[in-house]
Amino acid sequence: MQNEVIDPKLVEEFLSFTKNVTEAPKLVPAPNEITLESTPFDVVYEQDKMRLLHYKPLVEKQIKTPFLISYAIINRFHILDIQSKKSWVRKLLENGIDVYMIDWGTPSNIDKYLDFDDYVNLYMDNCVDFVRKEAQVDNISVQGYCTGGTISTIYATLHPKKVRNLVVTAPVIDGWKDTTVVSNMAKHIEIDTLVDRMGNMPPEFMYYCFSILKPFEQGLEKYYKFFKNIHDKEFVDNFLRVEKWLSDTPPIPGELFRQWIRDIYQENLLIQNKMYVGGKQINLKNITMPIFVQVAVGDHLVSPECSMPIYYAVGSEDKTMRVYPIGHVGMIASSFSQKQILPELCQWITERS
Amino acid sequence: MSQDVKLPLDYFKHVSLFWTDLLHLMSGKPIALTSVGPMRNWANDAKKVVTELMDANEDLVEFNQRLTEYYKQLSETWTDSQKKVNAKIPTIPQDVEHIEAYKRVWIDIFENDFTQLFDSEKFGQNYGKLVSAELELSKHWENITNVILQSMKLPTRKEIDEVYKELHELRKRITKLEKKEDRNIAK
Repeated sequence: MQNEVIDPKLVEEFLSFTKNVTEAPKLVPAPNEITLESTPFDVVYEQDKMRLLHYKPLVEKQIKTPFLISYAIINRFHILDIQSKKSWVRKLLENGIDVYMIDWGTPSNIDKYLDFDDYVNLYMDNCVDFVRKEAQVDNISVQGYCTGGTISTIYATLHPKKVRNLVVTAPVIDGWKDTTVVSNMAKHIEIDTLVDRMGNMPPEFMYYCFSILKPFEQGLEKYYKFFKNIHDKEFVDNFLRVEKWLSDTPPIPGELFRQWIRDIYQENLLIQNKMYVGGKQINLKNITMPIFVQVAVGDHLVSPECSMPIYYAVGSEDKTMRVYPIGHVGMIASSFSQKQILPELCQWITERS
Repeated sequence: MSQDVKLPLDYFKHVSLFWTDLLHLMSGKPIALTSVGPMRNWANDAKKVVTELMDANEDLVEFNQRLTEYYKQLSETWTDSQKKVNAKIPTIPQDVEHIEAYKRVWIDIFENDFTQLFDSEKFGQNYGKLVSAELELSKHWENITNVILQSMKLPTRKEIDEVYKELHELRKRITKLEKKEDRNIAK
């Protein structure tokens, strides 16, 4: 009989796991009950649904040049401040950097005609002007993460005098070199039909894209580990925060999404200096300020081959590239980023501010 | 769609349209004498709805073909992955350590095979067409909704889109004017 060879530990493990599942609602809050903001900030500027956040300083000595983070257009900015021990923002503040962050907000149907021109030349430019005015400086440091890295890159080509230093973290630059499943789908989607019919890019479509990235590790194993570690408060807190962040996927304005998919993934115009934003040609050689490119080897959303070409395409003489042995989210919200990535970045900024 | 399915469907569509059109024309004049309200358009609206439903039926065939191919690709990959797992570990272990190792092997093989599938040309092409077919179906639904909205004298999606576009242009113009004014004040 098979029953005779079953390890008693296996039965014990199964019963313990079942108990954890049953007890879970008593032990942990629902994701909706968790507040994601952890480092205090003021909303200092708003335009339509976009907000500019200014984080309160944590140390007395401040670097003069402010640091503006342009978050991605996918999901929300909270991942950069997901938990105090893994907070990108907090680490910058602890190093005396004056941090501002653009929260693009949650677009609705009325925003379907917003495009790159609006994001770069209106929203971002207005934020940069606001920060310059408030800090009384001519130019500021700008960082863009993921798709925010692309927006920052385009901004720096069009408004180079306002950008003192440019930091791009996993930016989407060379669409044809991207080897991820996301790029495979982006290349095959009939983008005009999608945008004409749907208006904005619906969140459900993004959920689908996320679900096919490591479907078994992320779709099954992750939840198994969650219930197995249900008594580990730190693990559970971190898990729920990331899960809540993952589920908060705003729609992407239709025209922005159309240009994004067509110009960057399908026709690959950005790296060829053939892309137009607001009627102006984007030439990456216009980027002559110091640039720091951060790339992750294990990035399954933006592959390193897609980000790295910016290093070779810009006109800057002072340029640095670091390739880290981590993934897309791990690069900005992990113990590794706290120990390795952020100290390097803070030093790089301090030396150039 | 195959020829033998398309022809009877086209014929059916043609015959239906012929009779609804003809009856609408034939009944139009006597009814016009007596009808004074918006119900005059009812037959015409009903015809539009029926036409959309028939066209949707055609697109449903394309959608189903793409959806079948989608699930076929998933199930074939699943079967192949499971075969690889079985070849590596023929029997499911019955103790904690080996179960954990089995799970790891299972996840690694499935993850690898499915990522290869999602990254493949054949998946990308079919998925792209599947989404397009789904969008075609939604277009028919939207057209039907627009007929109903128009019959109720409410704005259609196209009309709302025009308002959105106008608002977008206005917001942009206002922001540019504000910036210009700020620059003038600064001077």
